[in-house]
Amino acid sequence: MEFPAALFPSYFGVGPPQEEGGPAPVAGWGEHGQVLEGGSGRRQVQPAFVPRRGATGERWEAADAAAVPLLLPRAGCWIPSPAPQDILYRSGLCRKLRAGKSRATLDFARQLGHFFVDHPEDAFGSLGRLLHKNFHLGNSKLQRPARSSTIRMTALVEDIDRLEARRGCPRQHLASRLRWFSHLCRDWLFEVPLGLLADCLHEELMQQWSNLLFDDSLTGGALAWLPPEDGGTPVGCLVHPGGQAMNHLYFQDVVLEELPRTRGSPAQFELSGRVQQVAAARVDGQDFVGVRSDYHCGVWRVLGKRGAAPTPLQVIRTDVPASSLTVSPHVPGELSVCTQSGTVYLWSVETGLQQLRHDPQTMFFRDHSPWRWSDFTAHPRVLSCADRTGLQCLDARAPKRCHFDLFKVGKEAGCQQGERVVLPMYLGRAHPSQYLVTTQFSVYVLDERLPLVPVLKWAHMMKAPPLFAHLMPGKPGRSHKVLLGASRTQELLLLQYRGKTSSFRGGSQSACQLAGTPQKLHNIAGCLQHLPTQLPHHHHLLQQRLTAPAAGLAATLQEDGPRKSMLIFQLSEAGDVFCQRLTHKAAQPPAPPSRDEATTAPGSSPLFEAPASSPQGLGATALRYRRWLRALSRVCKEPPRHAWPFSLSQRRLFTRRDLEGPPGPSNLQRQMRQWLRQTMEEGGRIQHWETLALQPPPLPQTLEPAGGPDPLSARLTAAWAGDWEQWWEERTSFSVAQRRQALRERRRQQKRAQGRRSLSASFTSSLTYQSELSELSDTGPSLFSPGRPPILSQEGSPPAGSSPVGSPVTSAAPDEALLSSQSLRCRGIPKERRKTLRDYLSVWAECPPEPPEPPGSQASELCFPSSQSQLSASQPLRKRPRMGF
Amino acid sequence: SSNEHKLNFKKSKEACLSYIQDALLQKQWKRAAEFLTCYVESLEKDYSREHIGPSEMIWRIGTEILWHHSQSSMKEFSCFMEQMKTLGVKRYLKVCLEHVFHLLCNGQIDEAYQNLSLAESWRFGEQTAIQDKEMKLIQAYRGLLDYYSWSEQKNILLEQGEDGFSDLAVEQEMHGYFRKAAVNLKEIIKIPGVWDIFVKCYVDLLEFYGDHNEARQVLNEYAYNSKFPANPNAHVYLYQFLKRQREPKKSLISALKILHDIVPSHELMIDFNTMLQKSKKRKKRRLGLEVIFAALDYAGWKENAKAWSCLTRQVKQIVVSDKHLDWIKQEWNSRKDWWPAFHFSRYLAKRNWQEDKSLSYEKALVAGILLGKGCKYFKYVSHQGCKAQLKRFRMLKKFVNRHNLVYLKISG
Repeated sequence: MEFPAALFPSYFGVGPPQEEGGPAPVAGWGEHGQVLEGGSGRRQVQPAFVPRRGATGERWEAADAAAVPLLLPRAGCWIPSPAPQDILYRSGLCRKLRAGKSRATLDFARQLGHFFVDHPEDAFGSLGRLLHKNFHLGNSKLQRPARSSTIRMTALVEDIDRLEARRGCPRQHLASRLRWFSHLCRDWLFEVPLGLLADCLHEELMQQWSNLLFDDSLTGGALAWLPPEDGGTPVGCLVHPGGQAMNHLYFQDVVLEELPRTRGSPAQFELSGRVQQVAAARVDGQDFVGVRSDYHCGVWRVLGKRGAAPTPLQVIRTDVPASSLTVSPHVPGELSVCTQSGTVYLWSVETGLQQLRHDPQTMFFRDHSPWRWSDFTAHPRVLSCADRTGLQCLDARAPKRCHFDLFKVGKEAGCQQGERVVLPMYLGRAHPSQYLVTTQFSVYVLDERLPLVPVLKWAHMMKAPPLFAHLMPGKPGRSHKVLLGASRTQELLLLQYRGKTSSFRGGSQSACQLAGTPQKLHNIAGCLQHLPTQLPHHHHLLQQRLTAPAAGLAATLQEDGPRKSMLIFQLSEAGDVFCQRLTHKAAQPPAPPSRDEATTAPGSSPLFEAPASSPQGLGATALRYRRWLRALSRVCKEPPRHAWPFSLSQRRLFTRRDLEGPPGPSNLQRQMRQWLRQTMEEGGRIQHWETLALQPPPLPQTLEPAGGPDPLSARLTAAWAGDWEQWWEERTSFSVAQRRQALRERRRQQKRAQGRRSLSASFTSSLTYQSELSELSDTGPSLFSPGRPPILSQEGSPPAGSSPVGSPVTSAAPDEALLSSQSLRCRGIPKERRKTLRDYLSVWAECPPEPPEPPGSQASELCFPSSQSQLSASQPLRKRPRMGF
Repeated sequence: SSNEHKLNFKKSKEACLSYIQDALLQKQWKRAAEFLTCYVESLEKDYSREHIGPSEMIWRIGTEILWHHSQSSMKEFSCFMEQMKTLGVKRYLKVCLEHVFHLLCNGQIDEAYQNLSLAESWRFGEQTAIQDKEMKLIQAYRGLLDYYSWSEQKNILLEQGEDGFSDLAVEQEMHGYFRKAAVNLKEIIKIPGVWDIFVKCYVDLLEFYGDHNEARQVLNEYAYNSKFPANPNAHVYLYQFLKRQREPKKSLISALKILHDIVPSHELMIDFNTMLQKSKKRKKRRLGLEVIFAALDYAGWKENAKAWSCLTRQVKQIVVSDKHLDWIKQEWNSRKDWWPAFHFSRYLAKRNWQEDKSLSYEKALVAGILLGKGCKYFKYVSHQGCKAQLKRFRMLKKFVNRHNLVYLKISG
């Protein structure tokens, strides 16, 4: 590759950066930088100059108004990573205190409290078990003998509640009781010594906070695109992580059409850690995919032909978290790995690891960040290694001796004070000796033949440092495209640069120029404004999902004859992959006022409106969105089962008031409350609850009077007429009366059949029956209502007002409790009557037959017509609360 | 309160700026221009002590908009620039420079020259270091434009000279341009930096007037002064100058040797290798082999048929003469673990055969010698060549078969 015949003029200085500054919002605009005589030589009378920045570039325009989801959300709801408000202390007092200093205050006490509540076993397990008899959690007064060895906790808990309520009040007095208690037990109550626990927690909090400020573990991005073979079918492969913990690796075939779509189900691998980076390179027609998680790195091979299954080749484990993994574009099966301690390895699948450098210190000046990076260069045996202060190149054959500095944060590159390297990337596919280095302020293009002096520099003005970059090399005579992506803000920026003059000079190498203006692309969150209006909580969920930090970036150029387009994929931490298409517009000298100014103005949403230009494309876009939204609501509304580690003690403690004897509320009220609470716990929605809650028992089909019109049509007719409820009343009273009649009939028959039975037995049993029956008919509806509310608004649940005949499936399960031999026994019903009652009830409830009684219980029941069971029947079984807080 | 008012003003200023930024990044120049007219108000209460103040922002944004706005003209642009120059003393020179750059890129060389002269005469108190640098650049660019005028006059004179008469006035003018250009160009190239065009022009001037010593000194300084960055072009210019001066081979070789040490992948390495191969000295031919091997290490040379033919020629020469096989052995030693995968894979054999037959011929010969006749690359290419009944490839097969023992000697 030729070296440019002349470079743009620039000063060169040595030493630490002098220029003061910081993030400047518009620093990248309005500058040509330098000019160079680069025109048509001596032929013309006047020399022609070209600018370093400001030359015309290619015009790319977004095809849609927003990025479009490529994959449907997978089952398993995404767990958002902590937000600042989760770990920061916020209260009026604190804000006032903080006004002076700028440091954020971490809410240490709250997190410690969370730990105690969420993991009571780990926090107080053994002593809790030991002492639980000595703590009383009820409201009742303690009896005399117990008082000497038992503490009543209720008052203490009330004190805590009060404290909580007064949080942030400057004149809060610590309750002396609490202080006394904590003074007393601080030394022995905790499983883990409090000081140690606090240290660990504090460390973790600091870690979380620094991750929130800037998380560099995602550097490089966890999305890779394996392009289709040249001349083959336009099917590429997208490699991305997924799953709740982002520990599944998917290889998904994607068909490149107007709107890219997935093909077939992806090849899937479950890994033992969160996937932080996916890197890929194509060598000799095969794709090598490197995957980095904190302590493991793996490499897969994908053959060029689509449809071939990816083969895992090798996995390595590191003691310290790996911070970079790159795949060699030169030699198949070679990678470079960097760990946080500053060790650089050349990793060959055939020969294993070769350590090139081990240096915990940073290269050019001292910087605290443990982040390291390494990549390949134009020479397959020379690797670059980077830290926050700069880049060096090492020769793998003699790493100690042969190295040179490629980039230094300093005057050499005209850096600002405080500037740090964020992401280096080898630009080999565009030019074998060029390198991209991004910092939080600027982006540099370096040529390794002229180290230290950037051949291109531009202030990118992004709000968050660019952690992801993607190169799309341009064909000779056209510009190379570089995409920069930030994580937290999801920013995407398209830059174009040129290394060759246009073809009229025979395409000889000329100095690097930035072409065109940088262009902002759609990010995932940008589609939010175009989506149809949602319910507030749904909107919140959606917003949370769509504004999740970006986790990766990939792109591809597609040339379909004269039509050129660019497809950009963006991955979010929630595992969503969105894509957008840019189309190339042939250069029109002064562009007329472009159409997009009107359409992309905030507020309008052409996404869901009738399209003018390409009907099928936009329609498909809207359709894609609808499907995605539907899938998302299905995935996220699934009631989280065992989402919280359920712990009996904690629950008892926090529902203490519910354990108090209920003098007031009726059965129904209590049940309603319980449902409400349950629904709130599950984050569900209450909907039509009168109709369903007060829904009478389902119709007994067997006792249907023959001859009349079929009940469904009768009811529908009634419902249509509007007096459905009245019809139902009549119906139930009619059927209850009829059932009584039928029951009496049957008993008479039974009596006739069992004439030898004693009269007294028959009398008592009938008495029980009567009482049971009356009880049933009184509170019938509530007893037969399901224990779980079927009113959670689920996508799959039947629509409101659907026939009660259809619902016994939901109501059947809890009835089992009522019909089980246990509960019947509790009610003191003799065994011989139980069968009859169960038959009756099963008819009534139309529930599936109960499993046969275990013979053991039968036997014991026979032996001990126990008084205990009588007792427990009169008062609901209650476990003694255990201590735990 | 006034404090609150100030805060609100600041907030709305920031919001306005973010709208402008958004519009600029989406190439909505008209929208950006409308917002900018509002933003101009921020100049009224410029309390900011930030790195880039509102006046600089307006200059930058306005320039960017005027570059791209469909209805802007050069005249408007110049008018805007003149206003911007008066907005801030510290930035005066910078704005002048950028204005000149824009004029130059639009072919308005005379206006640019006027602006440069104006800027050069600007004085305001004591100059900061940055202003000093900017002033030097302004002078240098003026020198460059003087040089172009000089070269124009020179061409006129040369044409006239062909016709047989000369114009004294033109000649006088030309010498005038020379003096002006030389003074300014000489200044800037003393300061460490990348000054490729300035050096080239200055050397051209000196050479025309026969001051070869000065030219040589300038080029030596540019290439070898350690305060300057390791710019390959500096060595290239020196080499070209030496070549023009018909210097002995020895000095050419030493110039290229240094270039080889800095940039082993430079395109001049082919010239260097040919020069060394022709040499009678063993040491130099040895160096030639080293140079071509090192060049082919780089990804950019992978498919360079010229470089491969250089290597083939030399390897063939060594194998046939059966002398200095140890040279090859030594070079091959540090490459045998990765060259086969990098250069001689079956995939590459297929591709090279399809795309460039002569390249695959050269590579196959080297592969056959270095890796023996069992090597995948050689086998594929020779097979294909024989199938296509190409005489060259049959010869190649014969040659490799005859010298198959070399491979054992090299790898052993």
